[in-house]
Amino acid sequence: MARVLNAALGVLIALALGALIMLAQGYDPLASYAALFQFSLGSPYALATTFKNAVPLVLTGLSAAIAFASGPVNLGQPGQLLMGALAATIAGLYLDLPPLVMIPTLALLAMAAGALWSGLAALLRQAFGMSEFIVTLMLNIVADYFTLWAITYPFKDAAAYSPMTPPIATSGWLPEFGDWNSAVFWMLAATALMWFLLARTRPGYEWRIGGQNSLFARLGGCPVDRNFILVMLLTGALAGLAGGLLIMGGPHRFLRGLGANYAWDGVMIAIVANNSLPGVLAYGLFFAAIQTGALGMELITAVPSEIVLVLQGALVLVIVASREALHQLADRLAARRQAQRRAKQAPFLESVEQP
Amino acid sequence: MNILTGLLNGAISGATPILLAALGGAFTFYAGVFNIAMEGMMLMAAFCAVWGSFTFGSWLAGVLLAILGALALALIFIVFAVWLDTDEFVTGIALNLFTLGATTYLLRQSFGVKGVFAGPGIDPIPRLHLPLLADVPLLGAVLSGQNLMVYAAALATLISAFLVFRTRFGLRLRAAGYNAASLDSSGVSSARMRVYSLLLCGVLCGLAGAFLSLGYVTLFSENMSAGRGWISLAAIILVNGNPWGVAIISLLFGFADVLGLLLQSYQVPSQFTAMTPYLATLAALYLYARRHRKERSYVNR
Repeated sequence: MARVLNAALGVLIALALGALIMLAQGYDPLASYAALFQFSLGSPYALATTFKNAVPLVLTGLSAAIAFASGPVNLGQPGQLLMGALAATIAGLYLDLPPLVMIPTLALLAMAAGALWSGLAALLRQAFGMSEFIVTLMLNIVADYFTLWAITYPFKDAAAYSPMTPPIATSGWLPEFGDWNSAVFWMLAATALMWFLLARTRPGYEWRIGGQNSLFARLGGCPVDRNFILVMLLTGALAGLAGGLLIMGGPHRFLRGLGANYAWDGVMIAIVANNSLPGVLAYGLFFAAIQTGALGMELITAVPSEIVLVLQGALVLVIVASREALHQLADRLAARRQAQRRAKQAPFLESVEQP
Repeated sequence: MNILTGLLNGAISGATPILLAALGGAFTFYAGVFNIAMEGMMLMAAFCAVWGSFTFGSWLAGVLLAILGALALALIFIVFAVWLDTDEFVTGIALNLFTLGATTYLLRQSFGVKGVFAGPGIDPIPRLHLPLLADVPLLGAVLSGQNLMVYAAALATLISAFLVFRTRFGLRLRAAGYNAASLDSSGVSSARMRVYSLLLCGVLCGLAGAFLSLGYVTLFSENMSAGRGWISLAAIILVNGNPWGVAIISLLFGFADVLGLLLQSYQVPSQFTAMTPYLATLAALYLYARRHRKERSYVNR
């Protein structure tokens, strides 16, 4: 209950802040927000687009949330996403199997590439004690340049002027049902599966305990080091899958700047959701909605779509701070109640002790 | 000879933004703040510097606005992490993301462009020619004629080292990080020391950002800090915040930068040469981790 209240409060304050910015620059905030949600939720097609755009956000969000909840500070989702996307693209260029085999193959390869990239960070941590926090950040930038090189030289579409690969084989394209891209089902299935894994199975329990108190987990007999590697591989695979689905469901080729839009959104979503997986799904959809509606808003009221980035940043700050503030308020109220109870009992205790 | 001076000059200008930001981060490191907002502070400062320089036609206004912009972020950090007691890591990440969004939005809003803003209207920070040093045969070409901010960075290193190790302020700063409770019980507020350290970090990151967009190049592009804030964080961790160590590490990263440019002339694709500073960071972390592992095993024995 408190969580829902906190989320609603945070969203409202962030939207109010956005409205203030728009007012200060002479735009009409009400009309802008109306356009924003009209173009993201207002029609069946808009809703389907929002869900499709949520796929990379939710998957990288799951990756970050599972990592943060289990201990490893995996900030490498942007790089793992890129490597996954590259693997799916390369395989899609050279393989051509029946769709029923092709799609799972590409998805698995994307997951493997993401896991390879996060596994590299896990290996450096386990073998040499290098903090995965900075290593994953550096590997992000390395992956960024590496994929740029791959689409500029070896896998470049000869007919294109800017760096991009040719389209992958059509058997690897994710099928669409009306307006709905089947990437959405992958996203929902992954969320459900990950929630089950984390909340209802023994490894998930071990991971969460390890995230809360690593020493306790070790003393309780959890293989902490092995769990660290497992979580890194799993979260890398999730981010890689996000990249693969991005290619298979969207442009069907690796374009320059592919990952830039989703670079940090996963981390951001995990933070506002406080690492809860249903929360990741909810915030992922919300972020996708405002990102999807932004272009429509720009068309109608001329507010630059980049304001969404400001809204997202403000949302993260407000929600995190209000979460802490609510906690502190609750603590203070509880302390005061207890003090009052003590004050009431105190005269009685004194009278007992006196004689 | 010219190649050597060129290399040195390149390394120095590559090192300057990292050095300035890392000095700022060193203050917060000593005060016990896990501050990862240098990236955002630099980016905001880089934007404000270009905006100020373009609007008022003077680099000085740009530098002042850059400092103000970074200080504004430092104040937000203080409100959330010191006053409201929000998690420092989360606050830092959120600030970095907020800045990335805000600068992209402001770039579009103020100049009507996407991606990059460059133009003759931006007044760059001037180079400083030192009259006597320029005549020194070998060193003259390196020591004189650098950007003003390079000398500012050298001066900042001196001042930081003096402040941290030789003043009462520095003692209290280090005490706030070493044992906040005992500092508090001796009548000095550790929260106040953390606030001071963050403000200092804001000023230094402001200078770093101003150098990035008005000295290193004269333009602003989206996300132009490009991970330098993270590299400076790595530099701080590697030398435990010591300003002299930070200076040496920053120069090494500067060399990695130049090495990348040098490799480009040997037909290595630019995408790979651009990786060198980040790979150098990984290598430095590896050496650091190995040294510490040895120390730890030595202690255990």
